[in-house]
Parts: sequence; structure tokens; C-alpha cells
Amino acid sequence: MSATAAPAPRGRFSKRMRLRYYSAQNVPLLLSLGLLAALLILYYFLFIAREGRAPGNFELTTTVNNTLTTGLAAMGQAMVVLTGGIDLSVGGIIDMTNAFAAVHMGTSTGSMIGVSLLVLLLGTGAGLINGLLVAYGRLQPIVVTIATLTIYQGVAIEIMNTPGGQIPQAMTDMFSGTIPRLGYLPNSLVLLALLIVFWQILRRTPFVATLYAIGNDARAARANGAAVVRTRLAAFGLSGFFSGFAGLYFATVNTSGDPTSGDTFTLTSIAAVVLGGISLFGGRGSALGALVGAFILNLILIVLFFTAIDQEYTDLFQGLFLILAVVASVLVGRLLQRGR
Amino acid sequence: MPSIEGLSISKSFGGVRALREASFSAEQGEVHALVGENGAGKSTMIKILSGLYPPDSGQIRVHNQPVSLGSPQAALQLGMATIFQELTLLPYMTVAENLLLDREPRFGGLIRRGAMPDAAQTLLDQYAVQGLNPLELVANLTLGRRQVVEIVKTVSRQPRILFLDEPTSALAEEEVKWLFGLIADLRRRGVCMVFTSHRWNEIKGLADRITVFRNGASVGVFAGIDLSEEGAVELMTGRKLDMQYPEPPPLAKRTPVFAAHDLAGRGLRGATFTSYEGEILGVGGLAGQGQRDLFLALFGAGRFKSGFIDVRGARVRLRSPRAAIRAGIALVPEDRKTEGLLLPLSIRANLSLPILGRLSRAGIIHRRAEEILNRSIIEQLAVRTPSQEQPVGMLSGGNQQKVLLGRWLLSGARILLLYDITRGVDVATKHDIYELILRLAAEGHTLLFYSTDTEELAHICHRVIIMREGRFVAELEGQAITPEAIVAAAIRVPGSDRPLSARQAAGAPA
Amino acid sequence: MTPGSGPGNDSPFASLAARVRRLSPTMRAVTLAYTADIVLFVIGGLHRSSFVQFSNITSLLLLSSFVGIAAAGQTFVILIGGIDLSIPWVLNSLAIMFTTRSLGLDGNVWWSVPLALAAGLGIGAVNALGIVLFDVPAVVMTLGMNGIMQGATLGLTSGFTCPQCNSYVPPSVQNAFTGTLFPSVPNGLLVWAVIIILVGLVLAFSTLGRRVYAVGNNVMAAYLAGVNTRGVTIIVYALSGMFAAITGIALAAFGSQATLAMGDPYLFASISAVVIGGASILGGRGMYWGTVAGAIFITVLPAVLLQYQPPNPDAVRKIADGVVILVALLLYGREARET
Repeated sequence: MSATAAPAPRGRFSKRMRLRYYSAQNVPLLLSLGLLAALLILYYFLFIAREGRAPGNFELTTTVNNTLTTGLAAMGQAMVVLTGGIDLSVGGIIDMTNAFAAVHMGTSTGSMIGVSLLVLLLGTGAGLINGLLVAYGRLQPIVVTIATLTIYQGVAIEIMNTPGGQIPQAMTDMFSGTIPRLGYLPNSLVLLALLIVFWQILRRTPFVATLYAIGNDARAARANGAAVVRTRLAAFGLSGFFSGFAGLYFATVNTSGDPTSGDTFTLTSIAAVVLGGISLFGGRGSALGALVGAFILNLILIVLFFTAIDQEYTDLFQGLFLILAVVASVLVGRLLQRGR
Repeated sequence: MPSIEGLSISKSFGGVRALREASFSAEQGEVHALVGENGAGKSTMIKILSGLYPPDSGQIRVHNQPVSLGSPQAALQLGMATIFQELTLLPYMTVAENLLLDREPRFGGLIRRGAMPDAAQTLLDQYAVQGLNPLELVANLTLGRRQVVEIVKTVSRQPRILFLDEPTSALAEEEVKWLFGLIADLRRRGVCMVFTSHRWNEIKGLADRITVFRNGASVGVFAGIDLSEEGAVELMTGRKLDMQYPEPPPLAKRTPVFAAHDLAGRGLRGATFTSYEGEILGVGGLAGQGQRDLFLALFGAGRFKSGFIDVRGARVRLRSPRAAIRAGIALVPEDRKTEGLLLPLSIRANLSLPILGRLSRAGIIHRRAEEILNRSIIEQLAVRTPSQEQPVGMLSGGNQQKVLLGRWLLSGARILLLYDITRGVDVATKHDIYELILRLAAEGHTLLFYSTDTEELAHICHRVIIMREGRFVAELEGQAITPEAIVAAAIRVPGSDRPLSARQAAGAPA
Repeated sequence: MTPGSGPGNDSPFASLAARVRRLSPTMRAVTLAYTADIVLFVIGGLHRSSFVQFSNITSLLLLSSFVGIAAAGQTFVILIGGIDLSIPWVLNSLAIMFTTRSLGLDGNVWWSVPLALAAGLGIGAVNALGIVLFDVPAVVMTLGMNGIMQGATLGLTSGFTCPQCNSYVPPSVQNAFTGTLFPSVPNGLLVWAVIIILVGLVLAFSTLGRRVYAVGNNVMAAYLAGVNTRGVTIIVYALSGMFAAITGIALAAFGSQATLAMGDPYLFASISAVVIGGASILGGRGMYWGTVAGAIFITVLPAVLLQYQPPNPDAVRKIADGVVILVALLLYGREARET
């Protein structure tokens, strides 16, 4: 290399080259997509074997409907995990927000919109509280979010003692219904598409670039002038927002509220994040992986229950796959290291 | 007018004076080399001038204006940038993302990710970097290539004053030539550059002026052409008149006790040596040449792919420090505060940790026995403390080092691996340690003694073997061990005897 | 003027304050926790004098013992810098296993109790293996294990509708916790006292205890001092599983039957007890003495709050619990802060 060379020709980063590099750098996400594809195929054939017909629109709608709550929760969890943290209060926020929606939402349009916005605000606020304690208070995320998990569970019970409440049919139709004119396309699929678009935009913000930087190496990020504290706060706030959204969605899918049914989403959101190829140590992975992971998790369960395993065992498989997913990612990582 | 000045800077780290009223200045448009041995203070000076640490006393002036630098960011605002050895790259992001952090091509507030590879390539072309693809992940690059990325990232912010701390330590030959060209280019543009290095041919080839540091202060500023390698070595080492070193008696007979054959693996490329009963074997060489990996491997705490270790002629497999301890080996590690001692725990707990098994029955520690044993060592080593229960973190550096040594003496180890144990220790304790080392050798222990203080090595060791790039390249014995000889053996770059001039690097005919 | 002889220096508070300041941070926290316990009892007694009647105090202490026993395991784990989120369902599953195996018969006790304890040790060891062999973060490993135990229990008992699910705890075991060897002192307190002595002994005087503190302080330094850091981790998590099993048996004995979700409050309560007791969440510092005070605090606090008859007692309890932990973290968190 010499000091004064002529500049290289522009535009020589072809689509193919970019794709090649991207694939090499996103092996976990690609593996997850592969796993999802394999599961879909398995599901398809098992369904035919059991029901004697191919899965149709109804199955598509119910599957996506049932997965999106986890998907939304997992997207929020991904924001925090990408910075190298973890949010154990996701379940509590979902408890709180789904109860709130079920209790307060009336049938008027104003009430539906207003309460929905309030729910999102509630979730974001809860997330920001986490963020303040972790980023400004410099406390460990694990213990802080366990504490706030309990607080939010308490608030949920305060809002609503026992399952109940009522979500207006219009809301349920909007989130869980279908569009007749587009061949009964599930609304939830549209929402999924919107989430993907949302992430593609968010991915290009300086905020997310800093998010990844912090997860890579907080010290180096700070040395490069990144606003570490503010970004961490915003990451938790965003997680709260998505958890709130998940709670709202959960309420509409169930058409009522339940102050304790959100608890399971703490574990499933983390499992989805790991199954989607996002590293628990931060800095690596795409938030879209969280959505992929949510579908993988639900499909595994559906496939398992096709094989006549008792649904009571759900938690066992969720926990097992969480652990297996992390072990697999560690082993894959070690393999790649040795190959280098 | 000098562009950057440090006037009478003093800095201490926990009782050790790294800089004693040291002064330094560099001009705009010059390339200034800061040379000296490990611990002479040159790195500390750079860290202070770059805003990383505040000085204990003294003043910093930029373009004749006194400044107070709160952080490297503050220094950047004044046009000063630094390339440290510890890189600030984000490993799982691409070269492009790292180069353009905070300066990405944008459209309406959003980063244009598609345009980033081209923008990064433009930057790379501007600095004549070849063979680096902006799409590559930084973690997949060699250390040298990563350093190139870090250099480009820093230089592209167009600082007026640039500090480079050991910039070529990880660079391959090609990359070193590139850096020389870059430095020449920057000098033409009037940038002031200050760099530290151990490699004489680089210093000679690049530097307009050279400042030699020794013992925390400057001992002279010279024009590059006026200083020879011998002259520099003499200045770097010098005679430390305030230190008296004990010297060991010559070895009566050579009984091999501890040997390594062809150790290869992380950081090691065929390290081979033999040490004898009662010998103090010094390990010298520049920092980072594999000494740490060697010592860890010899203690069962490092992985090596091939080669083997013998203790008294018998092959040993050291799978863990526990195995090494059982074989009678002990390691006093580099950083006693983070790798050796458990600071919040008591002296008692720290001393007996490796031998708890021997001091207990059915898992319960026999406290009386422990107390007596500990006390004997505390007295033997003259550790100044009111009681054994004192947390080790409250002791002075010297006493902490004694506790660490005491732990291993208690364990009955006959082979002691001592890694830079006099760093950060006051003079009086250093003496105690030297006396102890000599006594242990006289009692038949075998000691491997790594030190960055060549004066120390020259006096208290029977032999000194010098390490470079993962293996031993020279051996000095008896009268031949002098600080100059050690430094000379350490800094000679293999295969090149003539210094490389900047003109040659820029491609002009020699 | 000679020091200590002025009017202000004679005040008893001055010398007390000086003595407190000389204590280590852990001891300070422990003292604070016990003081807080006493304050709680006083507040409760002020509201209604029956609160501080001997029988009420012993009942509250018995309830605290359940938290305390679970928290013994959590103490060990947190001391090495880990965490155990699997306590709720290890507790629950082993309680159910115990009742469905012993079927309420004293004759089955001699093997069913050790079986439950051994299972606890085994599950804890599996947790540790995941952490040690595969670098699975403790949070994830134990969280996953909690789910596994939950699913396994629900599945194997078909949602707790199995015929043996309603078995009673054998009378001898019930007596071991709710009986009274000494008048008006529940036996469960004696069990806890034994555990306190044993755990205190191990942590203060045994080789395991020293190694636990070493690993918790600095894994690398402990490793280079010849400590088998992997072995210590396995033992510690196994102990946590065992203590969860004991807690499960104790709770079942107290309620005379095992129930679903009986372990849920004990995750949070065990962590609270450890944190309130002054242990550092990062490991290396803390004593079981402190955890004991913390267990009492986290149990008596809701009891005091309940006296004010809040409309929604469960909600108030949960919120108060969470706030208490945050306060404790902020108070002692100075050491736990990341730089």
C-alpha cells in the first residue's frame, strides 16, 4: 500500500457481494429462518395427516393471532437484550396493560383510541422506570426488573382482582379479524408487516446504531462519544412500549383481561429472542429475529401437541427450548471460532 | 511555537510515581518519538496529554494556552486525537459502521445504510488503505488490520495533534510501511505527531526529534539524526544510583528441575527452556511477547496446543492451577489486585486459600492451626499489619505483594513463577523481595522471574533468557548480563539491521 | 482539651454512631435490617397490641422461616455472583412429589424425604452444569429450569388432578413443623434454627465457605489460587435446590397439603431477603445472618400493612415488596454499581 494511490472505482459493492457478507455475518438469523421454514413444512404435513386437508386461512389467522403477543413482547425484549441487558418485567407490564385495557375500554371510538394510547403510555412509562433505575441508578438490570416485575404485577391486581372486563368487539375485529376483500388476509399479518417496516426504519436511526454499539462494547462506545446512558434509558422505554402493545393485543385476542396471565411472557419473550439468533450478551442480531423466534416457539408447541402430548406440558417445553436454544447458540459460536 | 506541552507533570498510581515533574513538548508539523523502557513513564505522559488521566500536578498547554482536559472528548474538541493500544472498535459491527460511527451518510435523519460501503471506501481510498473490505466484520480482521481501521477512524477526524501509543505493535510489515507513508503525509500537512515505540529502526526512520524518558522524567531531547541506537539504549537504561541490588552467588551445580519444550499455542511459538535447582532465571523482553501466555501455561492456566512441561525430569500434565499447585508450582501473577489477591477478604483468608484442604478436617477449617501458620509467614516476610483479619485491600502495595508471596511460600511450592512482582512496589519492599528471592534460591527453590526492569534482572538473576514473538531468542549469563544487553536483544527487529527512512517508505528511491 | 471529654462526646448516641461507622458495610446492613425488623414489630404493636403477643410473633417467625430456608439456597448462589430463578417450581414440584409418594403415611417418610432432598440437589446440579459447561447465563438457565419443572409438574399430575394429588403430609412431618416441642414455639422455628447454625458454620468456618467467598469476589483470582471454581458452582446450586425442597416440604406440612403455585411468592421473597440482608448482588459479600433479618422483614411488612386493611391486600403486598427491594438496592447499591 502506498501513501498516494489513485482512488478505487466507485460502486463496486454489488448486490451479490453484499449478500455474501450479510449471510456470513448473520448465520444465527439465517439458521432461525431455516428452522422456521422446516417447522412450517413439518406443520403442513402433520396437519394434513391429522385433519385430512391442508391448513387454510383459519389456521393461518389463529396461529398468527396467538403468536403476535409473544412477538411483540419479544421485540421489546430484543431492544434491551441488544444493549446487553435483560428485562424480566415484561410479564408484569403485560399483566398491567391487558388488565387496564379490559377494565377501561368502552365501546365508543374515542374510548377505544384513547384507552389504547393510554395503555401504550403506561407500558412506555413502566419501561422508562426500569431504564431510569438501570441507566441512571446504575443498578443491575436483573434485580431491578425482578423488583419492578413484582410492582407491576401488584398494580395489575390492583386494577383488576380477577379475570374479567370486556374488550369491545370492534377492537377484537381490528386486531384479530380478517380483510374479506383481500382474500380474508388476517389483520394480524398486516400488523406483522407493519412491525417489520417499523424495524427497518428504526434500524436506520442513529439511536439504534448506538444501541448496537453499546451492546458490542460499552466502554468503546463511550470512548467514541456515544450517549450510553440516554440510549439505555430509551431501550428500556421502547421495551415497555412493546410490552404495553403486547398487553393490549393480548386483551383483544382474549376479548377480556387477566391480571396474571401475562406472567408467562417473561420467559417466552427471552426464549423467542434467543431462538431468533439474538445474542444474550448484546450487540448482535436483528430485532426481526425476535419475531421469527416467537413463531418458532409457537410452532414447536403446536407441532408437539399434534403428537398428542398433553398441553399441560407447555411450560416444560418453553423452558426446555429456552435452554436448548442458548446451548445451541453457544455451541455454534464455539464451532465458528474453531473454524477460524 | 510548541503545539502541545506538558510542563512539570507528576503522576502517581497508588504510591508509585510514574511521572516525576516530567516535561515534554512537540511542535506543529514534526514527528516526535517518546522512547524509554517499560515503566519509564512515556505511556503515562501520553495518556495525560490526551486527556485520559488528570495530572497530579503540572500544566498542559495547547498552542501556548493552558488547558484542563477532563476527558478524551475534551481533547478532541481541541483538535487532539489519540490512537491507544486498546482499540475502541466495535467488534460485531462492520468496518464501514465503525469508520462512519456518528458520521454516517444520512437522509432526513435516517442513516443510508446502502450508501455506507461506498462512503467508507472513499475514506479508505483517501488514506490509501488497500485490501480492506468495508463490508467485513471487525471481529474477523487480524489485530493488525483492526489497528489500521482504528488509525483511519482517528486520523479521518483531522486532528491537528495526534498521539500514537505503540502504533506498530500489531502491524505486519506491509501495514507498517503504509503507516510510515501516512505519517509522512500528515507531517507534510502540518500535523504534530507524538508516538511511542520500542523499535529502533522505526524511531530512527520517522522521528524528527526524540525525547528519552527514564524513571519518570525526561533525560534529553535529541534530533533524530544525532542519536544512535547505542546512545539511546544507554540513556534508556542508565545507572540507577539510588538502588543497590544484592547479587546471588553462582550456582554450585546444575540439577534440572523445571523445563518446557517447544510450547506452542496462544502467544507461544515453540518456547523452550530449562531451569535448575536454586536458580533465579530471569525472563526479559519487550512487553507482550508471550511472557504472560508462557507463565499462565506453566501454571496450568493457559492452553497450549503442542509441547510439554517437565518437573524434575517427569512429564506433567497441568490441566488446571490445582494440578500445578500439586506439582509444587506457584504463580505470582501480573496484576495482584485483580488476579492475585481477593482484596475485600482478610489476610488470613488470602494466605491460606490454596492449602485449605491441608488445614481442615471434614471440611471444617482448623482455625488455630491456620492462625499459627499464617503468623509465621507474616513474621518471616515482615508484613506490616495489626492483625490477620485486616482486609488485604487496605494494605500498601508492597505489603500486598508480600501477602501474595507468603501464600505461595505457605503452599510449599518449590518452583515459583514470579511475574513482574516489583511493579508498583516501593523501594524498601523491593529490597525485601530481592532478599527473599535470593534466600529462596539458596534454599533450593527454582525461580522464574519476569521483569520489565532490566536493571533488576541484570543484578539478581543467574541467567536471563529473552523472549520475542512467543519464543526465546537469546540467553545471557554471568558477566554478560547487563541492562544494555537485555534491551538490545529485545528491541532488535528480526531480519532488518538498517533503519527504514520515511523517504524510502514513501516510495522514493533510497 | 483532651479528645472525648467535651459535652457532645458524652452522648450515648455519639459512641453508638461511632461504633456503627466502624462496622463493615455488610455488618452495617445486617444491623440495619434487624433494627428495621424491630421497628416493624413496634409499628404493628402500636396499631394493635395483639400484634406483639408471643403467639403472633412466633407465627410470623414461622412464616419467615419458610422464606428464610428458601433464601438460604439463594444466599449461597448470590454469594458466588449467580442467581436462582428456579426456586418456585423446584419447591412446588418436590413438595408435590413428596406428598404423592409418601401418601400421608409415616412409614414412607424415611425414604420420601431424602428422595425429595436428593432430587433438589440433582436439579440444582443440572442448573450449574448448564451454567458451567455451556456458559448459559444463570438467569436464563434457572428461568428455563423453572419452566421445565412447572410443565413437568402440571403434565405429570394432569393439571394437579391426579388421585394422589390431595394426599396429606405424613403426621410426623407435619409435627416437625407445626408441632410444639417447647410450649408455644412451633417446631419449624427449631428446624430453622438448626439450618441457621449449619449454614452460618459452613459459610464462616468451612473450606467450602471460604471458597464461596473467594469465587464470589473474583473468579479469576480464586481460580489462580487453586480453587475448583466449577465444583464450587455446582455445589452451591445443588444446595439451593435442596433448600427449595426443604421449603416445599415445610410449606406442605404447614398447609397439611401441597397446592399449585405454592412456590410463586418465594422467588421474589428469597431474593429480597438476601438483598435486604446486605449481601451484594454481584457476589462475594454477605452473611446468612443478614438474610435471616431480611426474611423476617419481607414477611412481617405485609402483615403490618394488612392491619390497615387496604382494599386490595395482594396488590399492596406485591407493590410494597418491589419498592422495598428497590430501596435496598439504592441504599446498598453503591457497591453493586457498574462503572
